[in-house]
Amino acid sequence: MSVMSIAEQPHAVSPEFTRQPLGKVGMWWFLASEIMVFGGLIGSYILSRIAAGGWVAERAHVNTRLAVINTLVLLTSSLTVVEAHAAVDAGEQKRTRMFLLCTVLLGCMFLGIKGFEYSGEIEHGLTPASGLFWSFYYTMTGLHGLHVLAGIVVNFCLFIAAGGRGWKTIQHRVEYAGLYWHFVDVVWIFLFPLLYLA
Amino acid sequence: MSADKPSVSYVTIWVWLLLLVAAGVGVLGIPVSKAVAVMLIFSVATVKAVLVIRHYMHVRQQPLMVYAMLGIPLLLAIALVLVLMPDIAFRLR
Amino acid sequence: MQAVVEPDAHHAHGEELGFWRKYVFSVDHKVIGKQYMSLALFMALVGGLTAYLIRWQLAYPETPVPGFHWVPEPTMYEGVVPPEFYNALITMHGTVMIFFVAMPFLLGAFGNFLIPLMVGAPDMAFPRLNMMSFWTIFTASMLLLASFFVPGGAAAAGWTGYAPLSADPVFTGVNWGLNLWLLALALEFGSFLMGGVNFLTTGINMRAPGLTLTRLPLMVWMQLTAAVLFMLSIGPLIAGAVMLLFDRTIGTGFFLPERGGDALLWQHLFWFFGHPEVYVVLLPGFGMLLEIFPVFTRKPIFGYRAIIYSTIATGILSFLVWAHHMFVSGIDPRLAMPFSITTILISVPFAIMVFSMVASLWGGAITFATPMLFALGFLATFLIGGVTGIFLGSATVDIYLHGTYFVVAHFHYTLFPSVFLGGFAGMYFWYPKMFGRMLNDTLGKIHFWITVISFNCVFIPLFLCGVAGNMRRVYNPMQYDFLKHLAPLHQFATLATIVLMLGQIPFFVNFFWSMVAGERAPDNPWKANTLEWATTSPPPHGNFAQVPTVYRDPYEYSAPGAGEDWLPQYAPQPSA
Repeated sequence: MSVMSIAEQPHAVSPEFTRQPLGKVGMWWFLASEIMVFGGLIGSYILSRIAAGGWVAERAHVNTRLAVINTLVLLTSSLTVVEAHAAVDAGEQKRTRMFLLCTVLLGCMFLGIKGFEYSGEIEHGLTPASGLFWSFYYTMTGLHGLHVLAGIVVNFCLFIAAGGRGWKTIQHRVEYAGLYWHFVDVVWIFLFPLLYLA
Repeated sequence: MSADKPSVSYVTIWVWLLLLVAAGVGVLGIPVSKAVAVMLIFSVATVKAVLVIRHYMHVRQQPLMVYAMLGIPLLLAIALVLVLMPDIAFRLR
Repeated sequence: MQAVVEPDAHHAHGEELGFWRKYVFSVDHKVIGKQYMSLALFMALVGGLTAYLIRWQLAYPETPVPGFHWVPEPTMYEGVVPPEFYNALITMHGTVMIFFVAMPFLLGAFGNFLIPLMVGAPDMAFPRLNMMSFWTIFTASMLLLASFFVPGGAAAAGWTGYAPLSADPVFTGVNWGLNLWLLALALEFGSFLMGGVNFLTTGINMRAPGLTLTRLPLMVWMQLTAAVLFMLSIGPLIAGAVMLLFDRTIGTGFFLPERGGDALLWQHLFWFFGHPEVYVVLLPGFGMLLEIFPVFTRKPIFGYRAIIYSTIATGILSFLVWAHHMFVSGIDPRLAMPFSITTILISVPFAIMVFSMVASLWGGAITFATPMLFALGFLATFLIGGVTGIFLGSATVDIYLHGTYFVVAHFHYTLFPSVFLGGFAGMYFWYPKMFGRMLNDTLGKIHFWITVISFNCVFIPLFLCGVAGNMRRVYNPMQYDFLKHLAPLHQFATLATIVLMLGQIPFFVNFFWSMVAGERAPDNPWKANTLEWATTSPPPHGNFAQVPTVYRDPYEYSAPGAGEDWLPQYAPQPSA
C-alpha cells in the first residue's frame, strides 16, 4: 500500500475523471470562495466611498510611497514563488528552497513595512475608530495582511519540509501554495490603487 | 502538474509588472479629469492582475472549469456592488 | 451482488488504530459524518428547548415555564422569561437551528457519509481537512453555548443580527454574548468552507469508472449544488461579520450611522448569503426525497435531467432574490419590482421539481415504510411552505405580511420539512448502512405521525396569527388589544409544540436501542441501486474491496427485461 495520501494520488479512483490532482482542484475552489470574501469587503468600501463623497481629505494621509514599495515587494515575491514551482518541476531541491525562502522573506518585508505604516498612522491619531475611511483602511489591509501571514507560514513550512525526506511528498504543494500566494498578490494589486492612488 | 517551459520568462513578466506599477503611479501626474484618471489606474491594475493570473498561475493550463470558478464569483461580486449602488452609494442622506 | 469485505479497523499500513484515532480524531468520512450527526442531534435538543421556552411565553405570557424554575436571575425570574431573555431565545433558536442543526445534519452528516460512497471513492479528497472541519464546528458550538453563560447573556439581536441594534453593545445590553455569537458563526462558516472544498473536489474528481455526471445520484447533485451555493454566497457575509465585530469592539463605523456607516449595508450583506443559504438547507433534503422515492415506488425518478437543470436554475436564481427579505427595510423602491419578479420566477424551477417528484410517484408500487412516509410528508408539507412564499415574494403583499407570524409559519413550513422530515427520512433510510442495524419500523411510524401532525398543529395557527397582524419578535403580543383574540391560537400552538417535542422520544429510543439490539442489516436491505449499497453495512475503512464500476443510471427500477425490479448501477449484466 502506497505511503501517499489520497490527495497525492491524482488517479485515486478513475483516470476518466481525475485529470487534475485533487489538491489543485481543492485550492481553486478555495480561491473562488475567497474572491467572494474580498469582493464583499472591497465592494462595501467602494459603495461607502461613493456615498461619503470620495474621502479625498482622509486619503491624503495614507503613505503612498511605502505602499508603492510594498507593491513592488509583493510582486517580486510572486516571481520568487513561481520560480520555486519551476525549480520543483526541474527537480532542483536547493533552488526550490532558495526561492521559497526568498518568498518568505519578501512576505515578512511586506508585513514589516505595513506595520511601520500602521504605527505612523496610529501616532498621528488615525485608528480604525477615526472615521469610516480608516475603518475600511485598517480592515481591508488587515484582512489582506492576515492572508499574507498565513501564506508566509505555509511557505515557510514547505521550505522546511523541502530540506529533508519530505522533498518527494511536498512537491505538488509548492504549486498550490503558489496559487494562493498569487491570489493574495492580485488582491493587493487592486487594494493598492483603491486605497492609495485613485 | 508540470509547468511547460514558459514562452515568456517569469522575469520578463516581472519587469512588465514593475513598469506597470510606475505607470499607475504616473497617471496621478497627468493632467486629466478624475474620471479618466480612475479608469486609467484601474485598467493598469487589471492588466497587472491578468499578467499574474495568466503567466504565474498558468491559468491556460488549468482545466476549463477554473475559468468558471474565477469568473463566476468575480461577476457575482461585481453584480452585488452594482445592485447595491442605488441603495448604499446613491442614497439620499 | 454482495461485496465480500470484512469490517476493518486497521489503518492502511496494517496497524491497529487506537481508540482516539478511530472514534474521536478519525479521518474516516463515515466517522466524521456520525460526529456531525451527533452534534446536530444534540443541538436540536438545545434548539427545541429554546422553542419550548418561546412558545410558553407566547401562550402564557409572564407565567413560570414548567421545569425552568431553577434558572437563576437575571436570565429568568423564578421560571418566567423576561423580555431580554426572550430576545436571546429567539436569536439563539434561529442561529442554532440553521447553523448548528440544519447544516451539520443535512450536509455535515449525510453529505460526508454519502458522497464518497455514492461516487465509489475510498474517502473524501482531503480526509484530514474533513476532520478539521468537524472540530472547527465543534469549537464553534461550544463558543455558542458558552454565550448563554457570559454576563449580559446570549446574543439577542435576532439570528439576522440587524445593525445598528447589533453593532453597538449599548443597544442590546449584550456584549460578549454577541461577540461570541459572531466568532461562533465565523468558525462555522470556515468549517463549511472546508467541507465545501472537500465535497466539490470529491464529487467532481473522485468518481468511479463509468460514473458520468448524468449517472450521478440526485443526492450527490444536490449536495454539490448546495456546496457551490454556500461557497459563493458566504464571502460577503464573512466580510460583513468581521466588519460587525469591529464595529462592536474597536470603534469602526461600518454599520452605525452616527459613525458614518450604513445599517442597510449589513442587511444586504447578510441576505445576499441568507437567501442562497435556505437553498443550501433545502436541496439536500430534496436529495433525500429523490433517493427514497424510486426505492419505495420501484420505478425510476421522473425527469432526472429536468430536475438537474431546475436545480442549477434555482441555484443561479437564488443569488438574485435576496432583497425580498428587505422590501420594507428602506431599500430604494425601484429595487422592489425586479426582486419581486426574480422571486416569483424562482418558483418555476421549484414547480418543475415538485411536479417531477409527484410524477415519480404516479403508477408506482408504493411501500409505506418509514423512510417513505417521511419523504411523502416532506413533499406534502413543503408544498404549503412553497406556496405561502409566493405571497411574501410579491412586494405589495409583503408590506402587510413582513415581520408577522405569517413569515414565521412560511419559513418553518419550508425549513422543518427539509431538515426534520427530509432528515429523518434519510435517517431511517441510511441508518442500516451507517450502523449495520435496522431501525424499528413501528416506532418509526409512531414517530412520523406524531411529528407531522403536531408540526402542522403548531404552524397553521401561526399563519392565521400573521394574517391577523401578529408581529414577530415581540415578547408579549397579548399586551396589544387587537391581538388578544389570538390567545387560543397561541395556546394551541404551544400545546402542539410540547407534543412535537415529546414525539421525538420514540425516535431517540429507537436510535439508541437499535444500535445495540436492532436486527442486523444486510448490505442492501432496501434493494436499492446506488453505489453505497454495493458494500457492507457498515462499510469498512476504504469503503469498497475494489473500486466499483458503474454501468448505468441510478434509478433503473422495474426495467423491462431485467429479472428483478431493481438493477444496481454496479452490476455488469442484468440478472437473469
